[in-house]
Amino acid sequence: MQNSMKVAKWELKRNLKNKTFVIGLFITPAIFILFFFLGTLFSDSDDNTDTAENMTVYVNEDIGIFEDIEAINQEQDLGWNLQTTDRPQSEITEVDEPYTAYLFINEQSLEENRIATYTSEEADPLFPGQLQALTVPLQLIKAEASGLSQQEINQLMEPISFVEGTNQGESPSNIEENSLFDLENPWETIIPGVFAGIIMLSITFTGMAIFQSASQEKKDKIAEIILSSLTPSELMQGKIIGYFMLGLIQVAVFIAILLPFTIWQTDIPILENLFVPRTIFFVLIALLSYLMFASIFVGVGATMSDVASAGNMQGLVMMLPFLQFVIIGPVISNPDGIVATVGTYIPFTAPLTLLIRLTLLDSWPWIEIIISVAVIVLSIYVFMKLAGKIFKVGILLYGKNATPKEIWKWIRM
Amino acid sequence: MNTLLTVENLKKSFKDKEALKGISFEVYRGEIMAILGPNGAGKSTTIRNIMGIMYPDSGEIHFHQQTGEGIPKSKIGYLPEERGLYKDVKIMDILLYLADLKDYPLNKAKERILMYLKKFDLEGKENTSVEELSKGMSQKVQFIGSILHEPELLILDEPFSGLDPVSQEIFKEEIASLAANGTAILLSSHQMNLVEQMCDRVFMMQHGEKVIYGTLDDVKKQYANFKCILHGENPPALLEKIPEVDRMEHHRGRSVLHLSKGVIPHQWLKQLPNELDVQELHINRISLHEIFIDIATDKHLVSQEGGS
Repeated sequence: MQNSMKVAKWELKRNLKNKTFVIGLFITPAIFILFFFLGTLFSDSDDNTDTAENMTVYVNEDIGIFEDIEAINQEQDLGWNLQTTDRPQSEITEVDEPYTAYLFINEQSLEENRIATYTSEEADPLFPGQLQALTVPLQLIKAEASGLSQQEINQLMEPISFVEGTNQGESPSNIEENSLFDLENPWETIIPGVFAGIIMLSITFTGMAIFQSASQEKKDKIAEIILSSLTPSELMQGKIIGYFMLGLIQVAVFIAILLPFTIWQTDIPILENLFVPRTIFFVLIALLSYLMFASIFVGVGATMSDVASAGNMQGLVMMLPFLQFVIIGPVISNPDGIVATVGTYIPFTAPLTLLIRLTLLDSWPWIEIIISVAVIVLSIYVFMKLAGKIFKVGILLYGKNATPKEIWKWIRM
Repeated sequence: MNTLLTVENLKKSFKDKEALKGISFEVYRGEIMAILGPNGAGKSTTIRNIMGIMYPDSGEIHFHQQTGEGIPKSKIGYLPEERGLYKDVKIMDILLYLADLKDYPLNKAKERILMYLKKFDLEGKENTSVEELSKGMSQKVQFIGSILHEPELLILDEPFSGLDPVSQEIFKEEIASLAANGTAILLSSHQMNLVEQMCDRVFMMQHGEKVIYGTLDDVKKQYANFKCILHGENPPALLEKIPEVDRMEHHRGRSVLHLSKGVIPHQWLKQLPNELDVQELHINRISLHEIFIDIATDKHLVSQEGGS
């Protein structure tokens, strides 16, 4: 272990003295900040456009709903310039003034569930969608007019939820409580999830540098000199630990720059939701993910004479961490779906899938979590063993890439 | 003799090929022992087994009364045949790393690095990046890396390859000085003239087996007969009259006469015919180089004639 730590220290020192690494260390968060500013810049310009082209909405109504519409306009920040009007519907055939709309709301239109609307040709494309915000107060007025009691109205107006899987069978009041709870603080799970996600991706991608590092010894023909002082497994472990530490440094720099910036620029309650127990569990998943990919990288890295000359097999292995992104869409859209469940059990996709699911799901499927963590831990053990065997022979094979057949032979040795 | 390293009946196979067929030898403290043989004879495999980089199928290696994984690697220095250094690091950094891996105190290592850099004409280069060095300079840094931690056993696999004569001389002197100070040195080289000048004993192998083992003098006595090089215009018929000659090569007035085993040179000289034209005459033993060529080409002329 002492020798492994010496190797780890060396890898750390060597990289920290490397200009490319140091520049990369600061450039990644800088790029994030730059994109944030670019985004703000564009959204600001959009806002300006919006301000310049706010809809003027003339309302002709006789049921006393104008104040409610004003309130909704403010609450939902619709940006309408609301005006009352007495112009009859018969006068209006088309609206010449751009960004203008007329709404005719009366008892008859309410009865027929059809609100006459006239919009100028040039209008905010979001306007038809924004109009839907008026549906609920209008239905409420209609319900009150029909003589229903307040309790009946409440029951009628309660939104119907489509609930899948685990919440099935729960009483509606419980569902309501859950969703209310989630709506109140969605950051409670999102922040630890995003934090662990950053750690996972950062150390996994730093771990990809192990590829280069493992073949570096061969390229520079120093493997035999190093192995005259320590065992191949000590060298391998040292590299894994060294690059793990480098990854953590990268995460630390990343967070040290981005965290104050995010707190300053947004209202997201990061700190309150970061130091919670679930962060520890999420970070643990991230670390396991690193160990799994690092052991694969270090083993396969030792079979290459140089990263640039990686063969098909090595190239495919390099792509393994990206496999997780292929299923990220289905997992996010349906965290309890079949893709998400199967992804939880496949070693290469398990860490990120598990992380996303635990971030999005209201209640955790504990059995699936336990099986998934067991799959990851078992994979780490198996890959470490295989990597050890491949590394031992591969590291001394100078000047050529090992073929899959040769690698298979080393594994069986 | 104080034995430092013992190799006993070492065997190693790759696939169906036996690379080492049970070789045994010892290396003593303060001596330079050469391990010789043509390419593919099994030298590097033997060395890698001693270093624990490969593991023998059978046989034992003892160093400091330890065997296998118990062998203290920090007391061994090693310069492999296929060697290099990390390119993007400073000389001082890489040498300190190598010293650290050998558990050598870093402050002492730093002093020795500066001392050796000066000795090898690399003074002031400690902060130079390895990639800026010439091949010869890089070889010197690798050599410093192998001796920096004051090893008791130093294994050098082809230390002179790629070196100019001046650098060869510097290496030769340093190796001799280390041996004089008690370091046991196991040296593999194809430069037979240098081996002949430096080594106390030789272990020559071919096809994974021992062919010759002993002190340089003993080996020459045992395996090498005398040969006479004669310059002069002599017809072949006259040369054939010379007694106790096993084999003869004649070319443009230069004749090489390989003498029979047991010939006593000064008595043999008296038997030369009076009419022989002698412009120049040398009598010496067959060189290590010739023994090596003989073994490498599988002629076995030396052993046949030498009767070993």
